Amino acid sequence: MTTATTDDTYPSLRKKLEERSRPAPAPDQKDDTMQVIGRLTGYMTGKENRTKFIIALILRLTGTVALIAIPFFTGQAIDVLSTTGPTRDALMSPVLAAVGAAVIYLVLSIIAERMFSGLATSGLAKLQQDLFAHMQTLSLSFFDRQPVGQLMSRVTNDTETVALFYESAVSQMIRAIFQILLIIVVMVVVDWRLTLVALMMVPVMLFVTAVIQRISTPAFSRLQEQIGDVSGFQEETIAGNKVIISSRRHAWAEEQNDELSGFVYETANHAFFTALLQFPVTQVLTVFMTVLVLVIGSLMVLGGNLEFGIVVAFTGYVGLLASPLSDIANLTATTLNAVGGGRRVFAIMDEEPTVVDAPDAADFEFKGGHVDFEHVDFSYVPGRKILKDNTFEATPGQKIGICGPTGAGKSTIINILTRYYDIDSGRILIDGQDISELTQESLRKQIGVVLQEAFLFSDTVMNNLKYAREGATDEECIAAAKQANAHEFIENLPQGYDTVMAERGSNLSQGQRQMITIARAMVANPKLMILDEATSNVDTRTEKLIQEGLNRLMEDKTSFVIAHRLSTIRDSAKILVVNGGEIVEQGTHDELMAEHGFYYTLYMSQFKGKAPGGEQSGDASFIST
Amino acid sequence: MATLNQRLINDGLFAGNALVIVQVGIWMLVLAVVGGAALAVTAAFAVFFAQGTAYYLRSELYGKIQSFSFANFDQFRTGNLMVRLNTDIVNVANAVQYMVILLLYAPFMLIVAYGLVILRTPELLWVLIVITLVVVAVMALLVPQIFKNYDLRQKRLDALNNTLQENLAGVRVVKAFVREDLEIEKFSMRSEAMRQPAFGAAFRVAMLNPILTAIAQLGIALAIWAGGTRIIDQTGFTVGSLVTFMQYVSLVITPLALLAIVVPFLLRGDASAERILEIVDAEPRVKDVSDAATLDSKAVEGRVVFDNVSFSFQRPDGKLDPPVIRNINLVIEPGQRVGILGATGAGKTALVNLIPRFYDVTDGKVTIDGVDVRDIPQENLRQIVGIALQEAVLFQGDVRFNLKFAAPEAPDITMEEAARAADSFGFVTNLPEQWDAPVARRGYNFSGGQRQRLSMSRTLTAEPRVLILDDSTSALDVATESRVQGAIPGFTNNVTTIYIAQRISAVIDLDKILLMENGEIVAEGAHEELLAANKLYQEIYESQLGGGLTANLEVSA
Repeated sequence: MTTATTDDTYPSLRKKLEERSRPAPAPDQKDDTMQVIGRLTGYMTGKENRTKFIIALILRLTGTVALIAIPFFTGQAIDVLSTTGPTRDALMSPVLAAVGAAVIYLVLSIIAERMFSGLATSGLAKLQQDLFAHMQTLSLSFFDRQPVGQLMSRVTNDTETVALFYESAVSQMIRAIFQILLIIVVMVVVDWRLTLVALMMVPVMLFVTAVIQRISTPAFSRLQEQIGDVSGFQEETIAGNKVIISSRRHAWAEEQNDELSGFVYETANHAFFTALLQFPVTQVLTVFMTVLVLVIGSLMVLGGNLEFGIVVAFTGYVGLLASPLSDIANLTATTLNAVGGGRRVFAIMDEEPTVVDAPDAADFEFKGGHVDFEHVDFSYVPGRKILKDNTFEATPGQKIGICGPTGAGKSTIINILTRYYDIDSGRILIDGQDISELTQESLRKQIGVVLQEAFLFSDTVMNNLKYAREGATDEECIAAAKQANAHEFIENLPQGYDTVMAERGSNLSQGQRQMITIARAMVANPKLMILDEATSNVDTRTEKLIQEGLNRLMEDKTSFVIAHRLSTIRDSAKILVVNGGEIVEQGTHDELMAEHGFYYTLYMSQFKGKAPGGEQSGDASFIST
Repeated sequence: MATLNQRLINDGLFAGNALVIVQVGIWMLVLAVVGGAALAVTAAFAVFFAQGTAYYLRSELYGKIQSFSFANFDQFRTGNLMVRLNTDIVNVANAVQYMVILLLYAPFMLIVAYGLVILRTPELLWVLIVITLVVVAVMALLVPQIFKNYDLRQKRLDALNNTLQENLAGVRVVKAFVREDLEIEKFSMRSEAMRQPAFGAAFRVAMLNPILTAIAQLGIALAIWAGGTRIIDQTGFTVGSLVTFMQYVSLVITPLALLAIVVPFLLRGDASAERILEIVDAEPRVKDVSDAATLDSKAVEGRVVFDNVSFSFQRPDGKLDPPVIRNINLVIEPGQRVGILGATGAGKTALVNLIPRFYDVTDGKVTIDGVDVRDIPQENLRQIVGIALQEAVLFQGDVRFNLKFAAPEAPDITMEEAARAADSFGFVTNLPEQWDAPVARRGYNFSGGQRQRLSMSRTLTAEPRVLILDDSTSALDVATESRVQGAIPGFTNNVTTIYIAQRISAVIDLDKILLMENGEIVAEGAHEELLAANKLYQEIYESQLGGGLTANLEVSA
């Protein structure tokens, strides 16, 4: 392992590792473990599955009774053979009984397993679907809070640990418990003295198992974290490979990787070895049990207190006891993992949407598209205002341009006008209706949004267009594509409108993707439009086509255009100039230019003194983040 | 063990000798402990080998990936490599672990069981063979089925995860069109599709246990009947032998059951090993020549020449894609500031990527101060050529670590000056921890504009002789952009600088502007020259800064 490097350490990581090496403080989460287990199993054994579950339980119980009867019959057979002058007929009946019991056990168990597996997989499907459906109700603030990758891996990994619990732990746990309880009952009935002898080892076994768990469980969770560190580091450096290559830092990356992998190696050795110890320990203790039963049993037989067949039957019982005991030990780990996963899954499911419809929310009624912002304040994080006291008006059919430096709060307008976020104070009125008193659905259906990043689903072009409105026909979509200037190139794709978009639409150029998103917005046929710098990064000719499409889309609609490139909003009926969350100027292009204020400076800075006429841009205090 | 058992029953119990019983019992315990210890040692070996393999693979594979060039990364995407570094390595480690246990344990147990049966109770050997065959047959039937279903389940799980991933990435689109119901329907369909194979696999795995248990019990019943008839026929076969044989049966079942658990791991490990080897066998596309001569990076003047350069991306099968750079001839004089303008896909990035040898030219040559870049060691070359990339990636650590990433030995003052030039000094010093402020993975705690400025500062800190800014001001507003561009020459002191941009405002005041289209330079000259003479340039100017002329006239009027 490498030692700490001098000037280029990896500070926060090192700190994290140091924190890890300290024993973790006892988490006070233990109290809800049973609750989480109950909630998880609820998905398997919920109302509609109750009967199925109970039938499976009964089958399992009956099967286990049959299994436990087998040593009894084999014991009988041995007794027959131990008598002087045994006959085939006398031997036949216990042997046949044992065979019959084994067959009954096999058949019932398979049916029960089938039912349990069915319950397990449908329970998981239900959990996945409930989780996803709930996530769809959450507001944008939830999704903005964490990177997609992080949320993604959380959801997928956590549901997989739950899947393992459903598919193996639940039914095996039930089987193990049944088996142990039944065997103990039978043993007591057959001979309680020998039962005590056999069970003497059980507390020892449970104790040893508990000790192993106590060591291995935290080791495994530490291992998980360390593996997370390694793969996080690898992911980051591989995704950022261009920077590593251009900065020539391969040696550093390899060194870091080796060091982090070294931690994994040490912890994994420790964790896996401890966990594997369970196996020999259980074996040894089972032999101890058997030996105790045999020795003490035999001595009792010698003393005339016992028949030898019972001793043989007891060795059989002990053998049947061993595997469920070690199963329980193994399943505890699976269960605890699932509890961890389940806890995080339920945390998402218990998350409340931050934007909710008011109880008496009305549907939005479109009356031309008059938009009023009245003293609107907004912040993503309490105390850090993004918009301050914004007041402006858009009359029906007007094009409103919004510009300002990076981070001034331009894009925030989309988030609050569509109610992805609720505002802190003030009011937003559309056609005289306060949007906070409207249903989100009716509002969003009337507001079209074309975003900077042209997001398409990996589906056919046609389905991407139809996405905009339930029930849209092929003809409507094609008509929209024509309006958006997209029809021609779509027809030229290998399968025309049935061409499947590669991941995130990468088999199309950026401009083409943008045109499809414009056509999509046309299919929705909204009454108001918001465009977020929709025309960056394309060549001039494509841009012209896009601009044409956009103009058709915005025709006669109240629309908001957020622009970096000022030429896109020159013809706006009104331009809002935003700086530091405040609207510092508003008016037409010509008015603002004549004012020689902030907009003028912003506009002239594009020319860097090369503007025709040689005007120099003045200094303005940009509030950029 | 079982032999002792036989002694216990025959010599102790039937002979009525209590002492023998206790003695034998103690021997059995001793043997059990020895056996257990042997198992523990086996486990230790298994874990040691498995984790050792995992460590070795993590280190080797990652090291190999570090030797890759851009073309290799084009072939193996990040997600792809990560699967190999995670899942595949874990699969191989698991396979090694179970293999060691199986190799040390199962054959031993089987041989011992068979050996003892042959020695002690050869009469019942056939019963053991029957049991073994039945177990093997059941496994042969079930294991491939489990595999098939499990494989299908994983594929469907991938599809399910893709749906989730897309939903999360496109959450704004979903919400904008109010299509949550459609998304739920899509997801439910995928989730249901996964349920069937999941059930198929889970059910069969769950069946294994009762089947093996039943086989063991039936085997014992068979043994009792076979042995019992011998006892009845008074062939000299004893009850003790029979009870002993019953124990041998369980001795055989355990390793066979173990085999059932291990085989899938081995198969999965084998598939994973193949995928790991695919990476290990990949050759870095860009390699140093043996007689590469190091240039003195401080003394480089920075005259960059493209001599009839063409470039095509190479597909994994070795075929060339249509060229993205065609016959480019270009001279950039030391200290010149050059802008490259063009649409996405025009070949701007591909062109500059040839200078630090991120890719090698397909034809022609690129020289710095007259030396072919392919004759300069990569390490040395990239010290001379600094590039701030389109996508501003930061690494977990702190600000100082990130800014000095390309030049760990640079003094703080250089870093601070570089930060000042790229306009990040202000927001960094406003942070409570300033240069020690934490940077989250991939720099997520900084805004896009801040990341771009930090990325430029990082490139500047290394004080390159040829500086390339690949669209690295795209997230900045025009005012900030012009401030950065104004400050950089002051910091770099006569460094050859190449700006790539989509916005005309980013290149307007440079010494020379190259207009690229379809991999070719279609126009070359200063802003005024191009505006006067070039139609395409005029078009772009009109579309981006359109009306500048009129606006100005109106203002001055």
